[in-house]
Amino acid sequence: MKEKKGAFLRTEGLVHEYSRRDEEGNVTEIIRAVDGVDLSVEPGEFIAVLGANGSGKSTLAKHFNALLTPTDGVVYLDGKRTDQEENVLAIRQLAGMVFQNPDNQLVSNVVEEDVAFGPENLGVPTKEIRKRVKEGLESVGMYAYRKKSPNHLSGGQKQRVAIAGILAMQSGCIILDEATSMLDPMGRKSIIEQVLRLNKEKKITIILITHHMDEVVHADKVFVMKKGKVALSGTPRQVFGQAELLEECKVTLPEAAQIAEELYEHGMPVRTDILTMQELEEELERIFA
Amino acid sequence: MIRDITIGQYYTAESVIHRLDPRIKIVGTLIYMISLFLFHKMSGYAAAILFFLFVLFLSRVPFSFSVRGLRPIFLMLIFTAFLNLFWTEGEVLLRIGALEITKEGIWKMAYISLRLILLILGASIMTLTTTPNDLTAGMERLLSPLKIFHAPVHEIAMMMSIALRFIPILIEETNRIMKAQMARGADFESGNILRKLKNMLPLVLPLFVSALRRANDLAQAMDARCYHGGKGRTRMYPLYFKGIDIVACFICMLYLAALYLTVRFLPI
Repeated sequence: MKEKKGAFLRTEGLVHEYSRRDEEGNVTEIIRAVDGVDLSVEPGEFIAVLGANGSGKSTLAKHFNALLTPTDGVVYLDGKRTDQEENVLAIRQLAGMVFQNPDNQLVSNVVEEDVAFGPENLGVPTKEIRKRVKEGLESVGMYAYRKKSPNHLSGGQKQRVAIAGILAMQSGCIILDEATSMLDPMGRKSIIEQVLRLNKEKKITIILITHHMDEVVHADKVFVMKKGKVALSGTPRQVFGQAELLEECKVTLPEAAQIAEELYEHGMPVRTDILTMQELEEELERIFA
Repeated sequence: MIRDITIGQYYTAESVIHRLDPRIKIVGTLIYMISLFLFHKMSGYAAAILFFLFVLFLSRVPFSFSVRGLRPIFLMLIFTAFLNLFWTEGEVLLRIGALEITKEGIWKMAYISLRLILLILGASIMTLTTTPNDLTAGMERLLSPLKIFHAPVHEIAMMMSIALRFIPILIEETNRIMKAQMARGADFESGNILRKLKNMLPLVLPLFVSALRRANDLAQAMDARCYHGGKGRTRMYPLYFKGIDIVACFICMLYLAALYLTVRFLPI
């Protein structure tokens, strides 16, 4: 069923509701976590979804690889509808997901066997699995740790192993569902760098779900979620230009942008569309030159 | 910090025994353990001990390391030895008060102690030379005929390997919760057993909640990686019999034959 050619991922009027129940199992409250989201992602794009806690961004992400199915609306991944049972395996093979907690997503107690878990499930022949595991681990720089137990690795290293596991499934897309939120700043940086490189070199579509502004400055497109709806979308520069709207979404500007704005308010003639520290540095050098 | 759980302690080394297919090792160990119950002669024990030493030599596990497995059963060993020594009827050799030592008692003590020791050592040679992962894979393959009766063999093996991965994590978590609760004034030490059990509640409850959350997360992660049971699954390291496995089979049979001959034709 190939429909909607072109877009890699496409949602149409996506709604997700879940109900809260009391002890007797009666529905006490229906919560609309995702409320009419339309978006599309082209192959090879780097997309970021931003939002405060409870904005529905994680629920939205779980629709992209059919972990959840829509209450209303449709999601197409590579032209396949996620609510059709026969598409589920193909969709999950195409769109791998890195989860928030690095400990709770690794299955095996040996790194290389964990990376092999996906291809093993897909029934890939033994020789091919070994090749893919090697390539996957090498491309995230974890090949030296292949015989180790994940329990000996740092959080950032575990997330890199998880990424290797997705690469070994030959997914065209990696969804990072707040994958950096439990990492230290070093681990966070290394994961973002890996992901950027995979996007540039292997044209892998990246969907980054996060509440850290600094991670999204390199994205092609940013969606800001608020109460289950997409409140803002555009390039990072377009989005961060709308400081007031962002504040309404309880999303803060990247550090460099904040500094630039403060400087501007204190009467310094700096540009206000600055996103990265490097840009800020160059701007300040220009002013003081 | 406990980071690795090892069932029966794996001893890392490069040896023919380490390289054997886990299925051969499991079946071989079972055969060896059963063989210990088939005779009542010292010559049989001598043969069994020689075979054990031969395998131990091949495995390159130091002797001192292999006998560590006896430590937990040491008390039981002494206890059964005493019971057999003093409470076996027969020709009395020595009398200490009401206690009698008989000739039959001495023999029985020796037999039973040797049998217990060899049972434990035989099993530990397997766990010392096989990684938990290989053991799980071997069991899964050996039990796979039970699938005809709809026994969830693959699922049990998967559960075992997940447990191996998560036990150290949960132990760490237990320590963390314990410290957190102690900082809030919880007391895990004093009082009688009932009181102690009750005091465990603030430890057990958060631990369960966290374990369930982890299970939920892991299930989702496995779903996301296309896990759909054992059907159509391939393996990165499939088990297959190699030359040394067939040799090992022959050696096992040789052992049984030698054991039969010694017990049949030697007087004691």
